[in-house]
Amino acid sequence: MKRVATSRSRGVLATLARHQVIVCCGSGGVGKTTVSAALGIGIASAERKRVLVLTIDPARRLATALGLRSLGTRPVGISGSRLRRAGVDTRGEVAAAMLDMKSEWDRLVERHAPSAAVRDRVLNSPFYKGISDAFVGAHEYMALEALYNFHAGGEYDCIVVDTPPSRSALDFLQAPDRLVDFVGARLLGLLAGPSRIGWKAIDLASAPFVRVADRLLGTEMLADLAAFIRDFRGLYEGVRGRAADIYRLLRSDQTAFAVITTMEEESLAEARFFSSRLREYSMPLRAVVVNRVLPAALRNARALHAATTLAEDPDIADWFSSQLDGTVRPDSPRRLGLAFLALHEMAERQASLESRLEGLPGVPIARLPLARTEIGNLDMLGELARALQGA
Amino acid sequence: MVAARAAEEVLQSLLSRRLIFVTGKGGTGKSSIAAALALLAAGAGKKVLCVEVDAKGDLARALGGEPVGFAPQVLQPGISALALSTEESLQEYLRIYFKIPRLVRLTPLARMFDFIATGVPGIKEMLVIGKIAYEERRVEKGAPVWDIIVVDSAASGYVLPQLRAARSMMQLTRAGMLRAQTEWVDQVVADPARTVLTICALAEEMPVIEAIELQHLAREQAQVAVAACFLNRVFPIPLTAGDAAMLERAAADSEHLEARLGGPVGPLLEGVRLARRLRAESERYAHQLRTRMRAPVIELPLRPDMPFGLARTRALAAAIAGRPS
Repeated sequence: MKRVATSRSRGVLATLARHQVIVCCGSGGVGKTTVSAALGIGIASAERKRVLVLTIDPARRLATALGLRSLGTRPVGISGSRLRRAGVDTRGEVAAAMLDMKSEWDRLVERHAPSAAVRDRVLNSPFYKGISDAFVGAHEYMALEALYNFHAGGEYDCIVVDTPPSRSALDFLQAPDRLVDFVGARLLGLLAGPSRIGWKAIDLASAPFVRVADRLLGTEMLADLAAFIRDFRGLYEGVRGRAADIYRLLRSDQTAFAVITTMEEESLAEARFFSSRLREYSMPLRAVVVNRVLPAALRNARALHAATTLAEDPDIADWFSSQLDGTVRPDSPRRLGLAFLALHEMAERQASLESRLEGLPGVPIARLPLARTEIGNLDMLGELARALQGA
Repeated sequence: MVAARAAEEVLQSLLSRRLIFVTGKGGTGKSSIAAALALLAAGAGKKVLCVEVDAKGDLARALGGEPVGFAPQVLQPGISALALSTEESLQEYLRIYFKIPRLVRLTPLARMFDFIATGVPGIKEMLVIGKIAYEERRVEKGAPVWDIIVVDSAASGYVLPQLRAARSMMQLTRAGMLRAQTEWVDQVVADPARTVLTICALAEEMPVIEAIELQHLAREQAQVAVAACFLNRVFPIPLTAGDAAMLERAAADSEHLEARLGGPVGPLLEGVRLARRLRAESERYAHQLRTRMRAPVIELPLRPDMPFGLARTRALAAAIAGRPS
């Protein structure tokens, strides 16, 4: 089993680098953004490629490390000399960009509105302002839309996209369909009414719906909503066409999905769920990256014995004092021992969950060590990128 | 002891409320902490309802049960739990207020409401918060059905739209039944004597930043009081730089040290460096939270010896109450 695990770990970067779009998924808190950035850097260093890392909401230090100072979708290149200083010898180029949701929504409306008048009415409607944060899947859709545009722009050989911290994996996969449904729903059209004063003209079959909606929302709001929906439906053709393009790209060989996880029950369960959903959507999983793996040294049985001596031997503090010709705080060895024992337990728990990885399809698995420092600087990303190369 | 008394005070203040929302960045242990608060409330003799908003089943598992559905199910003595679903909330709503019988999923009426629910901003959030407020008001035989409701809410990015749903709705609806209903829901949520928010964090950059930002936004945008912040999984051993330096000095003669300890010193040094890092981060972020949060910060130790489940929830409950476990 060990042999299989090793051979699996070698292929992640090579496997992913064969694709032009890499979508990183996984539950919140597993370090998706960091891993996405490390993947991008790793690919650029292994091959002469222009790589774009598209992030959603990076931690501030990570944003600084990537050279992103303010919000904006304009990619910023990371200079080769900075990368070399971080120990990454790149042959390619790396740029990073951060999504700004509000401007992505505005751009969507601008792109797909059938006329300037409709565009302005939608952008100024109070419903629109609410929809851009309330619509489930909005962030997910916008990330895909931005990804699609960068891909179509052809400026990059490879785009690594970090997905938003979704409530569920499904939000992400369903986002384009959901937006199409939402914009184009036939019954929404019914609610919009045939015209501004057309409520009474609606056919008998639909009258009860309108009556209930009217009682619930009040006539005035219903009329406002109807007007908004009529305008919003104008986006339908554009959005439907684009969503179909996005699905085509995601299902094509150009795209690879990678699941990021940690060795914890919750994120492993989420990884498994995600991989089964990907299969349903005919979007095959190509790689798994396990982040924050504790060093194997923590499970060393003889080191455990040594730590137990530190924690429990009543004479150990005196021994240290005599060795070091000085005062040793009497509880110091005990704390050292207990600290190791706590980490040992954590490492054992991680190891005990190893079998959960086998539930994932047989794709390459990379293990990234818990970084030596938390600080998300370029050195750390370089360290992770090298770990991905298996160097 | 001072810390234990402070924890006790925070807990009493939390348990005097009717509605506790538990939120935080994904992965910070919201479900376990919500479950622990439920155990503590039940331990104080209260009838507790746990509500799971994100419906992954973690809350029920943290209480030793299997994932629950929309109908409340008893999981522990004094604790019932339910998982919210927008669709079932809507059907229940229509049943109660419009006497519309339970609908088959795809009848035109249900579908139209689906679209209203997706289309009108805030309706889904309103159904979530409305159902919770409805449970808060439920009375049977002259007594409230629940003494306290603990909500394992959406992650911090999504909880505010829910908490302020009633308020936003009031701005959109000027008449109609919904207007009157949003008013009472808003009264429940914005009343700090009845409703509070608690925020979970870890000793990492993003969870701490989100906790601090959320505290401000909760007050400004949702008028919801933040009653406590839980710093979860604090590395439990207070290692100092002096401790580590002592081991390193002794390791200069590693053969001698290894003979005395009965094992290799290399892994020990590696472990101690990692433990120092984790402990230093725990302390740094605890300090940052204490200076930047107005609400009390409660540190909860990492329990590497316990898998996710009821036993860990019990240990967490003891830690929240400031008792040894």
